[in-house]
Amino acid sequence: MPTQTKSQKQIQNLHDSLEDIKTREGVVGYILRASKSAAVDIKDPSKIINYAALSAAVLESGEGISKIFNLGEIETIILEGADTKILSIIVGDNRLSIFMEKKVDHSTIYKDLNLT
Amino acid sequence: MSREVFVTALRNSLREIRNICHDVKFSFLFTWDGALVAEDAQAEGTMMENAVHLFKSVAEKAVTIGGLDTLMIDGDNGRVYISSADDMYLALVMSKDADVAYLRSVTRVIVPTILKLLESVVPTPLKFMPSQQLVVDNLSGFRSRLAGDTVEIDHEILKQWSELIDGKDVNEVEIEAFSGKKARCRVRAIEDSKLVGNGLIRIPEKPFQALEVKKGELVRVKPLAF
Repeated sequence: MPTQTKSQKQIQNLHDSLEDIKTREGVVGYILRASKSAAVDIKDPSKIINYAALSAAVLESGEGISKIFNLGEIETIILEGADTKILSIIVGDNRLSIFMEKKVDHSTIYKDLNLT
Repeated sequence: MSREVFVTALRNSLREIRNICHDVKFSFLFTWDGALVAEDAQAEGTMMENAVHLFKSVAEKAVTIGGLDTLMIDGDNGRVYISSADDMYLALVMSKDADVAYLRSVTRVIVPTILKLLESVVPTPLKFMPSQQLVVDNLSGFRSRLAGDTVEIDHEILKQWSELIDGKDVNEVEIEAFSGKKARCRVRAIEDSKLVGNGLIRIPEKPFQALEVKKGELVRVKPLAF
């Protein structure tokens, strides 16, 4: 069996962390898109399409704005709405958005993703 | 109070924010529909326009989470923080070490207070027209001489602008090339039906040369006369 690369390990860790994070109070779900696949787990299925479109827009715009203002590599993008917020990150080819209630501490969620 | 005074007051407020918080590189204010309202002296026009354009696509989709309150993009070299302020958005471009909590509390007080103060002395709300990026086409020869300094753009765009200003005619525009050169010109609708709907701005020789543009280049066009 071939040895896992660092990046593959990171993605596996990410999947494991998400399984835990999604059960936490106030976490609404997540969308993880890779180049050829996507994992979607949103508590209210009627919101999946809207959330997917929003997630894609946040990440695309975030990357664009980062380039315009020379922010360097994106660490996190936090979008806050009236009652929900989104933590978006880019890990290699993977683009993750975690949806949560506004009261949830997104920095704890980010830490618990164990990306470093 | 004129629009110019209103914008100057906001510009001064933005400069003060930068003076208070040295980690702010520059800042600007824009409306939901993408019209730039004010920027501090350090901000560069094209960058802001492009950023606002990208931001708009997020704001439109954020209705699904009850509208967009704040957006923070955290990079390894710096941060951009965009927050709603009344019916506008304030964008702060700052260094990585900026104290976001402090900035948030400062801007949440200063900007809405200034806006409320200005609104209380402005008899009717000022409208900020979104600018449009159009492709340069040049009017040459006899048509150019006939046109004088009058540029031509799609009737549909003129109609949209007109709707935003309660049906009044738009008869003057400001054109800004990406080099930063600007020109004010009278405007009318494109007559040639083959050219309608292509996002063109047909510019006569004189302003064409003043702007130092080339055919096919993009320019930013903003209505002025209202």
